[in-house]
Amino acid sequence: MTAVAEAIGEGRIGGRLWLYANYHCNLRCSYCLTESAPGVKRRLLEPATMVARAREARDLGFTALGVTGGEPFLLDWMPELIAELAAILPVVVLSNATLFSGRRLAALEPLAGLPVQIQISLDRPDPEPNDEMRGPENFAKVLAAIPELVARGIGVRIATTIEDPAAYDPDERERLCALHRSLGVGDEDHVVRPIVHRGRAATNDLGVEAGFAELEPELTLTADGAFASPFGPTVRGGRLDTDLLVARTTAPLSVPASALARVAGARDGGTDSRLGIR
Amino acid sequence: MASQVLVGPVEPSQAPLLARPYYGVDGTSPIVTSLAHVPEALDVAMPFIAVVLGPSAIGARAKELVVVRTSSLLECRYCVQTHSVVALESDVTATEVRALCGATPWANVFEREQERALLAWVDAVAGGRGAVPAEIGERLRAQHSEADVVELTLLCAATMMLNRYCSALELPTSPAALRRLAAEGLL
Repeated sequence: MTAVAEAIGEGRIGGRLWLYANYHCNLRCSYCLTESAPGVKRRLLEPATMVARAREARDLGFTALGVTGGEPFLLDWMPELIAELAAILPVVVLSNATLFSGRRLAALEPLAGLPVQIQISLDRPDPEPNDEMRGPENFAKVLAAIPELVARGIGVRIATTIEDPAAYDPDERERLCALHRSLGVGDEDHVVRPIVHRGRAATNDLGVEAGFAELEPELTLTADGAFASPFGPTVRGGRLDTDLLVARTTAPLSVPASALARVAGARDGGTDSRLGIR
Repeated sequence: MASQVLVGPVEPSQAPLLARPYYGVDGTSPIVTSLAHVPEALDVAMPFIAVVLGPSAIGARAKELVVVRTSSLLECRYCVQTHSVVALESDVTATEVRALCGATPWANVFEREQERALLAWVDAVAGGRGAVPAEIGERLRAQHSEADVVELTLLCAATMMLNRYCSALELPTSPAALRRLAAEGLL
């Protein structure tokens, strides 16, 4: 067993390796961690790089992969890459699901039956407040896309990101859950998490503070290096945050993985690191 | 035209995880705040630097003679200024610091053969190219053990590495060090 596998087994670091495929996006959400938008620098991880790191991750003892961005499905090669990654480890890929029609929807069909879940953002049960945070017609596009994915046998999770989950209005929550159930997504595949006060959310004074002490350590690779959490490689005012940077070295993967296991192991024993956010 | 800062410091609030232990509460060396851009390099460089430049079997005075003389030969403004202060705190006089910096020939100031042999060695290692003349090595070896020769040579070589790093990145000398040097008439 590798030292990294031991750290994963003991829960010192998470078993999922996150890959930031890109930073650009077709949306410009008010709480985006990475200030993603159509015109931003793409900061791509190449497909071959992601596959190579995924294989290393499996050999080191990681148990799952996560792909995020930006909007990963702006990249035409993403469906093919996800299928290739899923042959290595189970994959969750985060998406706004606003691009899933026509050619792009058809390109997802090979993912049916694979250990893949597309995690889709749906924040509110009503179009107006949802689209206020995420952009025009977001709600309608998401509601159209989810049943199409479910009908094709592609795994779907729904992520709801709100200012304060603890203060979430129970009636609104029930309406949202009724909505995702009606779309074919069960409660077990619905997560509610807080907005994190980083990136554009910090600029807009939204969300909860989340530093290394509050986050579950999950190794996260980007074009700029390896970070301690998918909430780490945030951008504010066009500048990349480095407070959760682990190493610039991403290959071999053992370098940042070992470093993360070490710093995670040195954290205060009494620290409750779990905000429960993905 | 004022020169542009090639690499800015990583501020404490942005210090990467591996770099945080090297950030002090009373200010942090620009070597640390620049290396923090590559935390895995910082994480091995600083312990190495601490071992080579910090307290060891060799006295602080001898070590600072090596560091200041080497830095002067390599014309590293940051290292000369910073370590001139350390030298003053390690029983090196202001007159000796001036000599190490070339204001006067060091041979006119340093009288003990142990230190003269050491400075001749430093001049050959840091100021020369290729092999060090055998007689200079034999002179050093007559005054120092094999272990000391290894440590002093490593100190000289590590200082050269830092000299080029600090010069290339134009690292700023701390205001406190500049004030101390001014008070000693060393600016």
